[in-house]
Amino acid sequence: MNSADLRYPQQTLMADYLRATAGVVLCGAPLLLLDVNRWLAAFLLAGFALFALFLVRTALRHRTRFVLGPDTLCADGPAGTLVEWNRLDRLKLSYFSTKRDRSDGWMQLSVGSTGGRLIKVDSALEGFHDIVERAAQAAEATGAPLSDATRANLRSMGIVVVGQEEPV
Amino acid sequence: MLQFIVRRVLLMIPTLFVISALVYFIIDLPPGDCVTSQIEELLARGDPDAHARAAELRELYGLNLPLWHRYLDWVVGIFHWDFGLSCQDTVPVADLISERMMLTILMETSTIAFIWIVSFIIGVYAATHQYRWGDYVASFIGFIGLSIPNFLLALVLLYVGKVYFGLSIGGLMDPEYIDKPLSWGKVVSVMEHLIIPVIVIGMSGTAGMIRRLRANLLDELQKQYVVTGRAKGLPPMKLLVKYPLRHAINPFVADIGGLLPDVISGSVIVSVVLSLPTTGPMLLSALKTQDVNLAATFLLFVAVLTVIGMLISDLALAALDPRIRFGSSEK
Repeated sequence: MNSADLRYPQQTLMADYLRATAGVVLCGAPLLLLDVNRWLAAFLLAGFALFALFLVRTALRHRTRFVLGPDTLCADGPAGTLVEWNRLDRLKLSYFSTKRDRSDGWMQLSVGSTGGRLIKVDSALEGFHDIVERAAQAAEATGAPLSDATRANLRSMGIVVVGQEEPV
Repeated sequence: MLQFIVRRVLLMIPTLFVISALVYFIIDLPPGDCVTSQIEELLARGDPDAHARAAELRELYGLNLPLWHRYLDWVVGIFHWDFGLSCQDTVPVADLISERMMLTILMETSTIAFIWIVSFIIGVYAATHQYRWGDYVASFIGFIGLSIPNFLLALVLLYVGKVYFGLSIGGLMDPEYIDKPLSWGKVVSVMEHLIIPVIVIGMSGTAGMIRRLRANLLDELQKQYVVTGRAKGLPPMKLLVKYPLRHAINPFVADIGGLLPDVISGSVIVSVVLSLPTTGPMLLSALKTQDVNLAATFLLFVAVLTVIGMLISDLALAALDPRIRFGSSEK
């Protein structure tokens, strides 16, 4: 298996930048321009901090490339880290949607190997399916415990991990 | 998760703007304004300065300005906790609602806590003791709660309390504490008076929650993995809590968001019947007199609480069970 260089598409990053900027402006503008009541100011500050954090995370994603190799998944960027497949001990695949019927959502994969930091990637990432497939194979080999939700989400992507049950 | 929170919060902001605009414009839609009825009274009394007084009042309340202008003034005022003047008493809305708002929040929070705690305990008990007397009693309470309107239950309790026990159930505190500063005695009095309104307002919500939790948990308890776990000798409590309860609780958590508007709208009529000094009766009178600033402020608070309730419910659900559903499509 060759290494693959994966990045978030420009369109996704731009949408996230737009969301973060809109949030920062909507929460920050009243704080700057008006004499805001202190309770409301606390709410607006919390919102401002949330969107600022999201802006930073989007910028980090922009500067990060993911290298999927036969032995590792490497996040090469300002907050880079490495996951070794043969030492994988954490795998979580979650599905999020902002709609009431939970349609049009996105997946988020978190993987980590012993002693290392987690790598989190969203389904918008090019080659996301390949990463999930490789992570599932690694989980099968290392016996990393998978939650009920993770197994269900893997199944929905056509990936079955044999023999990995959450300990009862 | 961060992306989920950001998207949900970002949706909340335009939602609240749209709700505030709709509320403000709709309350102003009927012909006339809040000064109309006051002027009619003055004219009926034969006051020769009635029309001049009307012009004065309209200028004082800003009613001579176009609606969009008044709306923008109101929205900007919200940021510094100034919701304009109320037409009813010519006092700032913020002064008028502060104590009532606190009592309302206290009552609604207590009601929601009552609904969750009682329905969780009874729902789990009813599901794990199916077709035993406890289950029948829980189902009976459920049917009673669902079928009796809250205001009727309030009237029955008022009558029973007064006639058979000599109790005065109305109000949220003893008369000697009204308009008095906060004291330990006042807190105790409020707590005592909260019991009946909380039960009355929370009854239908509790009944619905009990039935939903019971049905969900029964579905889970009859699944193969529970039978296998039992056959393997798992302790009953661990077998209940580890998976079935976790799965059955999802619809319960999803209902949290919808509970808040139900409780608030249900409490309006109950507050009138039980003479509770909450926002309900004031909202009703503000809507009748077209007191736009007061009514819109109340309704905006309800909208904010509802939107926050929905956010909490969605976050809890996303944390509890982040799995794809059938019919949903992955991006």
